[in-house]
Amino acid sequence: MAVAARPNAATEARSSTVRTWAAKHGIRTAVLVVGLTIFTVWTLFPFLWIIETSLKPNKDLYGDASLIVKHPTLTHYDYVLNKTKFFTYFKNSLFVSVSTTIIAMFIGILAAYAMTRLSFRGRTVMARTIIVTYLVPGSLLFIPVFQIASNLQLTNKASGLIIVYLIGTVPFCTWLAISYFNTIPTELEDAALVDGANRFQSLVQIIIPLALPALAVIALFAFTQSWNEFLFALLLIGRDSEKTVPAGLAGLINGDVFQWGALMASSIIASLPPILIYIASQRWVVSGLAGGAVKG
Amino acid sequence: MAVLPRVAPSGEVFTRSWATRTFGRDWKIAWLFLTPLVIVLVGLIAYPFISAVVLSTQHKVVGGPATWVGLDNYRDLLIGKQYSEIFRNSVWVSLLYTGVSVCIKVVLGMCMALMLNEKFRGRTVMRAILFLPWAMPTLIVALTWRWIYDGTPNGLLNLLRIDYFGSKELVQWLANPHIALWSVIAVVIWQGTPFYTMMFLAGMQAIPQEQYEAASMDGANVFRRFASITLPSLKPVLIITTLLSTIWTANSINFIYVLTKGGPGNATMTFPMLAFQIGIDGARQLGTAAAVSVLFFPVFIIAIFLLTKRMLAQEERA
Repeated sequence: MAVAARPNAATEARSSTVRTWAAKHGIRTAVLVVGLTIFTVWTLFPFLWIIETSLKPNKDLYGDASLIVKHPTLTHYDYVLNKTKFFTYFKNSLFVSVSTTIIAMFIGILAAYAMTRLSFRGRTVMARTIIVTYLVPGSLLFIPVFQIASNLQLTNKASGLIIVYLIGTVPFCTWLAISYFNTIPTELEDAALVDGANRFQSLVQIIIPLALPALAVIALFAFTQSWNEFLFALLLIGRDSEKTVPAGLAGLINGDVFQWGALMASSIIASLPPILIYIASQRWVVSGLAGGAVKG
Repeated sequence: MAVLPRVAPSGEVFTRSWATRTFGRDWKIAWLFLTPLVIVLVGLIAYPFISAVVLSTQHKVVGGPATWVGLDNYRDLLIGKQYSEIFRNSVWVSLLYTGVSVCIKVVLGMCMALMLNEKFRGRTVMRAILFLPWAMPTLIVALTWRWIYDGTPNGLLNLLRIDYFGSKELVQWLANPHIALWSVIAVVIWQGTPFYTMMFLAGMQAIPQEQYEAASMDGANVFRRFASITLPSLKPVLIITTLLSTIWTANSINFIYVLTKGGPGNATMTFPMLAFQIGIDGARQLGTAAAVSVLFFPVFIIAIFLLTKRMLAQEERA
C-alpha cells in the first residue's frame, strides 16, 4: 500500500526486488557454502585417513600416533607390491570382473533386445521376472549358493566366482539395457528390417552402435560390482594363487592383528580401478544409473 | 488325401498364423535371444531360491548328509531355547539398523541433491567429490572405518578426542554394545547417501524450470516451492529409491561382517548376519540358517511387489 502511494512506484518496486534478491542470494550462498563444506569434510576425511595411514611408518601408526605425517615413507607400498602376491590378486580380480562383465552384457543385451523389440507371448511375465530376480534379497540366496558352489567343486576357481557374480550382474545389466533400448526409436530399425536385415544384424548393426555410450556405462557398473564383491571371494577362494584382491587383503589380517599400513596401501591400489572408472564415466553416472532404475 | 499337399502353402500360412497368434509374432527369435537369460535365472536364481526353502526343512551340516525335519528349524527359531532369543533380537536389530539408515540416507541425500542442483561454480567437481564414497569398494570402506573406529589411541576418532579435545578415556566405538550399532549405521550412511543423491538429482533435472519460475512469480518462497513442486515431482523417484535401498540395506552384511561380525553380544546381529553366523561362520547348520532367511522373505515380498509394479509402469511410460 505504501508503495502504491508513492509516485515512483515502479523504481521502488524494482529496487525492492533487487534488495530481496540480494538478501536471498546471501542466504542462499551462505547455506550452500556451509552445507557443502560439512558434506565435503564428512565425505573426504576417511580418504585422508587412508592416505595418511599408508604413508606413516609403523612406529608412527602405533604407540606414538599423531594426526600429522611426520616421517612419510613408502615402505607399506613396497611391502604390498614386492612381498605379497598383490599383482597376482590384482590380475585375478581383473580376469574375474572382466569375464563377468562380458558374459553379463552378452546375456543382457540379447535379452533386452527381445524384450523391447520383439513381440511374443510372455513378454510381460518375463519383464516382471527380470525385476523380481533383480530384487531378490541376496541374503536368501547366500546360504544355498554357498552350499551349491561347494558341492559342485567351484571353490578355488575363477570360474566359480564368475558364475556366482552372474547372479547379481545379469538381471542388473538386462534391466538397465531394457530401459535404454526403450528410448531408441523403432523407426531407425524398421528401414533396415525392410531392406531384409534379420533381427540379429539389426541388433548388431543398428541398436548396439546407437546404445554404445549407455552400454559402456552399464558395463562399467557391472565391472565395479564384480570388482567390489568380497564375501564370496573370501569364502570360495582359499588358494593363494587364485585369490582376488579382497581375499588377498584379508590375508593381511592375522586373527585380530591388522597390518593397517599395508592394508591401507593396498586399499589405495585396489580402489584405483573403480575410482578411475567412476571419474571417467562421471558425466553419465547420474543420467545412466538413475535413468535405468527410474525415469525422472 | 492326395489333395492335401497342394494346399500345403496355405496350410503352412495357417499353421504359422496359428503359432503367431498363440505365441506372438517373433516368438521363435525372441526366446532364442532370451535363452541365456532364462538359463541364468533358472539355474542361478530360481534353483538356489528353491534350495533355500528345501534346506530350511532339513537338518544339514556343511558337508554332511541332509535329513528332513519338517518345520523343526522354524520352531527352533521361533520358540526353541537355543535360537529364539537371538532370533527375536535380530528382528529388532534389523529393524533399527535398516530403519535408521534409510531415514537418514533419504534426508541427507535430499539435502545433498538440493545443493548440488543449484547452479554454482565448481558444481561438477563438487558432485564428483560427494559421490566418491559410492565408487569405493565396500570392503575397503569397511576396513577404513574399522581403523577410524579403532579402540586404541591410534584410531582416528580416539586420536582426535585425546589430541584435540583433551579427553582421557578411550571410546570403544565397535566393542561397546551401546555404541556399536550406531557406529555401523554411520558407515552405511557414509557410503549409501550418494546413491540417493544421484537418484534425486536425476529426478530434479527432469522437473521443468518453468514450474519454479511460475511459482516464484506467485510469490512462493523456497520452502513452498520445495513442498509444492520438488517433492511431488520426486515422489516416484523417492519411493523407488527408498524401497530399493531398504531391500539392499536390510540384506547386506558387508559392513557388519568386517566391522563387528554381529557383536559385541549380538548388538549388531541383523538377520542376514545371523543366518551367516549360524550357517557358515559358526555352527554350520545350513538348515537353520536357511530358515532365518526364509522367515524374513515375506517382509521383502511386499517391497518387491510394490517396486515391480512401479518399475514396470515407468517402463511402459518410456
